[in-house]
Amino acid sequence: MQAFDCAIIGAGPAGMSAAITLAKSGACVAVLDQASRAGGQIYRASADSPLPDAHVLGADYTDGATLIAEFERVDITHITQADVWHIGDDGRILFSHFGDTRELHCREMLLCPGAMERPMPIPGWTLPGVMTAGAAQVMLKSDAMVAKGAVFAGSGPLLYLIVAQYLRLGVPVAAMVDTTPRQNYLAAAPLLPRAMRNLPMLKKGLDLLREIRASGVPVYRGATDLQVLGDTRAQGLRFTSASRSHDIAADTVFLHHGVQPNLNMTRAMDLTHRWNADQLCWQVDTDAFGQSSVPHVAVAGDGAGIIGADGARMAGRLAALNILHRLDLLPQEGLDRAAAPDLAALAAMSPFRAFIDRLYRPSDALRLPRDPDTLVCRCEEQTLAQLRTGFEQGARDPNALKMLTRCGMGPCQGRQCGHIVAGLLSDWRNEPPETVGYYRLRSPQRLLTLDELSRFHAIPAPTEATE
Amino acid sequence: MFQSLRKPERDRVTITVNGHPIEAIAGQSVWSAMALNGQTITRRAALSGEDRSAYCAMGVCFECLVEIDGLPNQQACLRRVTEGMAVTTQEITETTEATNAGL
Ligand SMILES: Cc1cc2nc3c(=O)[nH]c(=O)nc-3n(C[C@H](O)[C@H](O)[C@H](O)COP(=O)(O)OP(=O)(O)OC[C@H]3O[C@@H](n4cnc5c(N)ncnc54)[C@H](O)[C@@H]3O)c2cc1C
Ligand code: FES
Repeated sequence: MQAFDCAIIGAGPAGMSAAITLAKSGACVAVLDQASRAGGQIYRASADSPLPDAHVLGADYTDGATLIAEFERVDITHITQADVWHIGDDGRILFSHFGDTRELHCREMLLCPGAMERPMPIPGWTLPGVMTAGAAQVMLKSDAMVAKGAVFAGSGPLLYLIVAQYLRLGVPVAAMVDTTPRQNYLAAAPLLPRAMRNLPMLKKGLDLLREIRASGVPVYRGATDLQVLGDTRAQGLRFTSASRSHDIAADTVFLHHGVQPNLNMTRAMDLTHRWNADQLCWQVDTDAFGQSSVPHVAVAGDGAGIIGADGARMAGRLAALNILHRLDLLPQEGLDRAAAPDLAALAAMSPFRAFIDRLYRPSDALRLPRDPDTLVCRCEEQTLAQLRTGFEQGARDPNALKMLTRCGMGPCQGRQCGHIVAGLLSDWRNEPPETVGYYRLRSPQRLLTLDELSRFHAIPAPTEATE
Repeated sequence: MFQSLRKPERDRVTITVNGHPIEAIAGQSVWSAMALNGQTITRRAALSGEDRSAYCAMGVCFECLVEIDGLPNQQACLRRVTEGMAVTTQEITETTEATNAGL
């Protein structure tokens, strides 16, 4: 079967920027994404918003429409609503598409799967009515759906952004419960002078906080001991702030505790990963061009380590330039020249990133559960106490604990519990995360039915691929 | 309570949720069509059978699994409604799983 020069998975800022660069130099490109339109998390539905006036979401969002328009103009094969569940290092990709199974082949592959929110395993986090702040954003952007009278709890820029977006739309918010520990402000302060070079970014963040404060929505700071109230449904949030316990009634609780790379794709390919001690998460190990431990597999954007949307665009372009070079479509000096501006811009962003990482460093109390009855594995319903028992029975690493307790074996395949289980084991063993390791993952990366597998089609590249 | 702020002009489709016809907007996610019609429960937890509902809305938690046109384990937050689609909340638990075609 005719292979594509390059297949890109994920049409967010990283994947779209890469596709544009590749296509403009004549590479034959396929882009696959689960979504019905390009955009990724930040620019979701930015080109066709269901909201009467999308400008209330902010210029960062509406600016995405320009990139989407450019992406949709270039000559590539863009397959929407394609759920990729197998990527082989032989260049074979399998995905679900409207209940069918499809296959394509490529010479180079670029994974741009983006980020997911860090799970926040507080008591009651599995109750219906508890969602993530990112979920609030997804629902707002793609379906103009909001939850009135919700409480928002956690820490980090995305939390403040969605609260501000709700307020601009006139959607009532019960409270914002900020869990950023006070000591984070002190720890981040020494990094502020260098971060000031990125004044516009800094100002954007401060403006959001000011906007929320001015709205009159109750804001609680330094909150600890969070617990979702309710037996069969969320009924509110209990927490401690300024040494007092508070109960806020709400039928929707949105949680947020930062984002981490969406790892399942890079893990299932068995690429080399490393522990990021600033962001407290695993990430794939790549060079400055996103090239992984398997040379024809590159990873770019938040899926390779959290760098934000602007960084993702740059990383996508850099990965594309290197792929063009590997495909003999760009000589070395052309690569060096074209890459220099993005390499410099990425380096210039890093002091700001370091400041944000320190300020919003996830607190252990919210990253790892404390209450013995809190579910760690949502799918197989394994509590902290059950995992501890498994550990005491001799399961000392994530895979052994998985074999013993079934944690991480459910439909989400450890996407939610992976970092929690690894963090708990690291604490219990009093050893670094690198020593403890992570779940071993395999394809398929989602549940499949025989029915679906039986409807099988291959997608050849258009004939002009450079062979 | 979920509420829609959608501008009015899009095409409507009819789908069924657990046999009841509901109106939805073409291209809307199955999850939002369900939630706006008061059906916020998607599946049952594997062991306890407790009610579960969408958590991430972006495809990484698998709490929103429903059956769509007879096919089990479909993510309601990722699938989009189409005319005549039949959605049922998923009743599979550990005890019923063995009889199903899930791989
Ligand atoms: C829920 C959420 C909301 C966010 N909102 C904002 C925001 O408003 N502003 C902001 O600055 N930052 C936001 N972020 C941070 C965001 O990660 C980055 O700003 C930016 O979107 C990263 O770009 P990317 O191209 O690396 O990945 P993304 O934009 O995340 O794109 C990844 C794409 O990969 C696709 N994908 C993943 N797995 C598969 C698969 N198996 N098969 C097929 N396709 C797949 C996804 O559908 C997605 O479109 C958000 C993050 C999350 C998780
Ligand atoms: S709500 Fe998380 S996968 Fe659909």
